[in-house]
Amino acid sequence: MTEIKLYDKLDVLILPVILIIIWYIICDLLMLIPSYMFPGPIEVVNSFINLLVSGKLLKDIIDTLYKVFLGLFLAAVVGISLGIILGWSRRLERLCSLIISVLRPIPPIAWIPFSILWFGIGTAPAVFIIFLGCVFPILVSTIDGVHRTRGVLIEAAQSFGVSNLQMLTEVILPATVPYIVSGLKVGIGIALMCTIAGEMIGSSSGIGYRILTSTSLFDTGSTVVGMLVIGVIGIIFDYIFTKIQEQIFW
Amino acid sequence: MTFEIENVSKSYISKNGKEKIVALENINLTIETGKFVCFVGPSGCGKTTLLRLMEGFEFPDEGTVKDDGELVTKPSRERGFIFQDYSLFPWLNVLDNVIFGLNIAGKPVEESKEKAYKYLDAVGLRDFATKYPHELSGGMKQRVAIIRSIINESKTLLMDEPFSALDVQTKHKLEEQLVSNWRRNDRTIIFVTHDVEEAAFLSDEIVVFSRRPGRIKKVYKNDLPRPRDRSTYEFQDFVNEVTDQIDESEDD
Repeated sequence: MTEIKLYDKLDVLILPVILIIIWYIICDLLMLIPSYMFPGPIEVVNSFINLLVSGKLLKDIIDTLYKVFLGLFLAAVVGISLGIILGWSRRLERLCSLIISVLRPIPPIAWIPFSILWFGIGTAPAVFIIFLGCVFPILVSTIDGVHRTRGVLIEAAQSFGVSNLQMLTEVILPATVPYIVSGLKVGIGIALMCTIAGEMIGSSSGIGYRILTSTSLFDTGSTVVGMLVIGVIGIIFDYIFTKIQEQIFW
Repeated sequence: MTFEIENVSKSYISKNGKEKIVALENINLTIETGKFVCFVGPSGCGKTTLLRLMEGFEFPDEGTVKDDGELVTKPSRERGFIFQDYSLFPWLNVLDNVIFGLNIAGKPVEESKEKAYKYLDAVGLRDFATKYPHELSGGMKQRVAIIRSIINESKTLLMDEPFSALDVQTKHKLEEQLVSNWRRNDRTIIFVTHDVEEAAFLSDEIVVFSRRPGRIKKVYKNDLPRPRDRSTYEFQDFVNEVTDQIDESEDD
């Protein structure tokens, strides 16, 4: 029984392991690709150990996560509060709907020139890009959640004499939480992409910066380490949000 | 005198937007304080619509609805409303659902909780205080919803087919609890149902509605002595009499 379970869990590893072996054979054994074009697994592991021991990797990760969380936090504050208000007031929503639908499809990366112009180089332009990337999915799913609040819950609250503000905080907001969480889940994925793009251009630190600078120094091993670290962070976030979603039962 | 309903008409535009559906036409009705009144009639006769107008969820196209001499312009905590659909807040546990109205009214939380436990005790739900609505059966949910309304001691309770989704045994039990609670308080209850037997068991008065356009066909005084027994001839006769009236109106 437990053996079967273990096998079930391990089978996701079969294909990755095969790919790594093939990668090892091509790059390290047969040396078909020069390492400045693409590194072999051994070089990647070496770079990983170097970055880890020197503390650079941890610094990069913290730096990037700081930007991600700051941008996501600002986007959540604006997206959730605006979403609740716009979802509740059809008139305000109509007033803003055209602006939102024009701004929403603009890729956040298209804002990079302005973000550098306005905020210079550093943390701020990246946070600005992340904010723009996250705010729309959060806003739109919050509005959607408000619209989907069951009418009977709203009417029940009315029959208890709630004020307009109480309606928003005691009924609409909690009823919308599942939608807000899925908005945040989408948002954080976008935030990671935006952070790396932002760091490559408007920043002098973080994983994105590491990826770009190490390539120009022919240290492709570090580039791959940076890429894989982003992937792993993405998995962790996804796992955390899936767990949170499982906790929400309404 | 609690409710005065004068010349009330209400229509809707049908879903495809073409037809005008007259839900209520020229309704005149007075309901006195402390009475238990049932609205019965075939589905689509506007009985729920009238109840919603009385709460202030919707407003008449013509005519007026007054509660204690005041025009009903919005929902009020003086009129508790119990829905056919489950209406508990799914993110609150049973206890927090029950004290929702008291919290809104700014009552001290500890007192409210104590009071809530008394009510939960009375219907055998004390052990479920920390459970969430999705962990309860249909009958339990509806019991909690009723407690959540009556704990506020509103002078009126408007109930829209609250027991229609329950099995017969649970339904009978809740009906008995509702009547005994009502008899201990000076509260007006207006109860919508399509079940004539239920109306005969509960009410002081039965208002029979006709099918579209919804009109009041007849108002019965229900003088059957309380506590009532569904198995007596008098009870069954009364049920048959009212049922005939509804069947007739369905032939229209």
